[in-house]
Amino acid sequence: MLSPADFIVSEINAGIFMLDREYRVLLWNRFMAHHSGLESEAAIGRNLFELFPELPQKWLVKKIDSVFVLKNFAFTSWEQRPYLFRFQHNRPITGGIDYMRQNFTFMPMRDESGEVEAVVVTLLDATDSAIYQTMMQGAMQKLEESSNRDGLTGVFNRRYIDARIFDEIQRIQRYQAVPFSVVLLDLDHFKRINDTYGHLAGDEVLREVARRVQPGLREPDVFGRYGGEEFILILPQTDIEGARAAAERIRFAIGSETIVSGDEHIAVTASLGVAEFAPPFATAAEVTQAADEALYQSKHAGRNRVSVYVAQQSKVG
Amino acid sequence: MNDQLLLTPDQRDALQEVTNIAMGQAGAQLAQILEVFVQLSVPRINITESANIAGNILQLVGTPQSVTAIRQAFSGTLRGEAMVVYDENGCRDLADLMGYEDDIDRDSERELLLDVGNVLVGACLNGIAELLQAKLSFSAPTIMAENVEVGRLINPQQLTWNYALLVEVHFTLEVRDFTCHLMTLMPEESIVALKSALDAFMENF
Amino acid sequence: MPTPILVVDDSVMARKMLIKALPAGWDVEITQAGNGLEALAAYREGKAEVMFLDLTMPELDGYGVLETLQAEGLNSFVIVVSADIQPLARERVRQLGALAFVKKPVEPTQIESILREYGIAL
Repeated sequence: MLSPADFIVSEINAGIFMLDREYRVLLWNRFMAHHSGLESEAAIGRNLFELFPELPQKWLVKKIDSVFVLKNFAFTSWEQRPYLFRFQHNRPITGGIDYMRQNFTFMPMRDESGEVEAVVVTLLDATDSAIYQTMMQGAMQKLEESSNRDGLTGVFNRRYIDARIFDEIQRIQRYQAVPFSVVLLDLDHFKRINDTYGHLAGDEVLREVARRVQPGLREPDVFGRYGGEEFILILPQTDIEGARAAAERIRFAIGSETIVSGDEHIAVTASLGVAEFAPPFATAAEVTQAADEALYQSKHAGRNRVSVYVAQQSKVG
Repeated sequence: MNDQLLLTPDQRDALQEVTNIAMGQAGAQLAQILEVFVQLSVPRINITESANIAGNILQLVGTPQSVTAIRQAFSGTLRGEAMVVYDENGCRDLADLMGYEDDIDRDSERELLLDVGNVLVGACLNGIAELLQAKLSFSAPTIMAENVEVGRLINPQQLTWNYALLVEVHFTLEVRDFTCHLMTLMPEESIVALKSALDAFMENF
Repeated sequence: MPTPILVVDDSVMARKMLIKALPAGWDVEITQAGNGLEALAAYREGKAEVMFLDLTMPELDGYGVLETLQAEGLNSFVIVVSADIQPLARERVRQLGALAFVKKPVEPTQIESILREYGIAL
């Protein structure tokens, strides 16, 4: 009959095995046998790396040797190294991951003289925590995303845009990168649209404008709603002429067709202001202020147009 | 504070020496891994109040900077947590010294920090335990924080103890701008156990 | 006549441990010092025919003591007692004129064999 200790080692729902200095298996419990398909009689006395050629030998040898030399516990976690053995896990249907996630502990077993005679290895199945953590990360990311997004239009919100402008400025100051430009966009007579067609139609117009702008954007461009009927576009590594051209394309995309809301066909145009982040600008506020001044010129000059901010010549004398 | 928690001057001196010996072993192992000479510090010992822990850690690290830290729990005769705090350059230097190429990925870097931390914690605490005839076991180290301000490493509101013993040693490399701090924190009931272990140790001399 | 020996360590505990590890029959007169400056003062008073010297100490560390002694022409048997067991630490103190290196915690047998080797005691 097995002693209680032997019984527990054999039957516990965790992998336990033991290796000598030559990586030969000295003990192989039922969990290991069950998951590897290799009975303990077949494993004992054999070299671990011959039995499992898929193991990362170079790395694992170093780990095991360190336990013999340093006489210290060693660990590996699924978070850095998902698995060592290609074992099936107990969530074959709903898991969504390939092999059992594994946490290992390597323990020095000392003889009477204090020398390490064997390394005992335990394997804990971490698949459930891995799945849980993956799910949680997904949820966190969605939450993070949603707090960067404008609820109505789905484009970035002002908080996010401000942070991105800040990032761009830092990048330029750190790496002397090519400047970026900012385009501010305001829908013309939006109040009249709301008054005439109602707020639901107004919301639909905002959503449709956001949809029409996006196909014309490059990958690094950042587009968001800046508040009310105002949108903003950051164009990294774009000078004022490039930004003016982009703004013209956007103006055209918005005004090219009427927007349909219910039975109504609503004509929409936008006024745009463009500014480049270049000396003497040093802050986000200065460059958006400049774009806002250009936008004001567009409005003042009759709307549905693009204006570019030109720095005032410093007065001499 | 309960006087029972205060170390007598003799106990403090003994703990300092025991830590110093254990640290020598840890330093030698670090030197062996990295193949460079490791400079050892004089151990610093404090009783800290949980509300002041952030400030105490900041003081031990010296300058406010962003750090990466691992933590590892130990239990047995003594119970507590050890942290290894790597300074900003520490992680990169470590990868470099261990012969990794430039493009070490994040997971390998984390694994490296965990492994080196585990060696330091194991060598140091096993050394102390051996001298004091205490028995310790260790749980797996985990990443505590990456690139956070050192003053924000521990949130005092999450702590369940009022006083803890904080023992700090640090290792610097002669040839590099690398420092890591090993901090061991033991809560109240462990301080009492430690004090009697120190008393028993001192009886031998 | 007893041999004047000096035990230098910032830790009282460490000094006690070292003194406990000295050979039982050795006729000595023990002086203790808590840092390198105290050690040099005691040395100049002729209290250190044999010096047991720790390395990490406040004020002046063990390396500093060795450097000073070397600069002034060393005529003391210095045995470094340190927890720093890196081979390079051992080599450095040898180059600075230390006779031997003993690792902490000190083993009585180790001390005795060094003393015998150099014909210092017994």
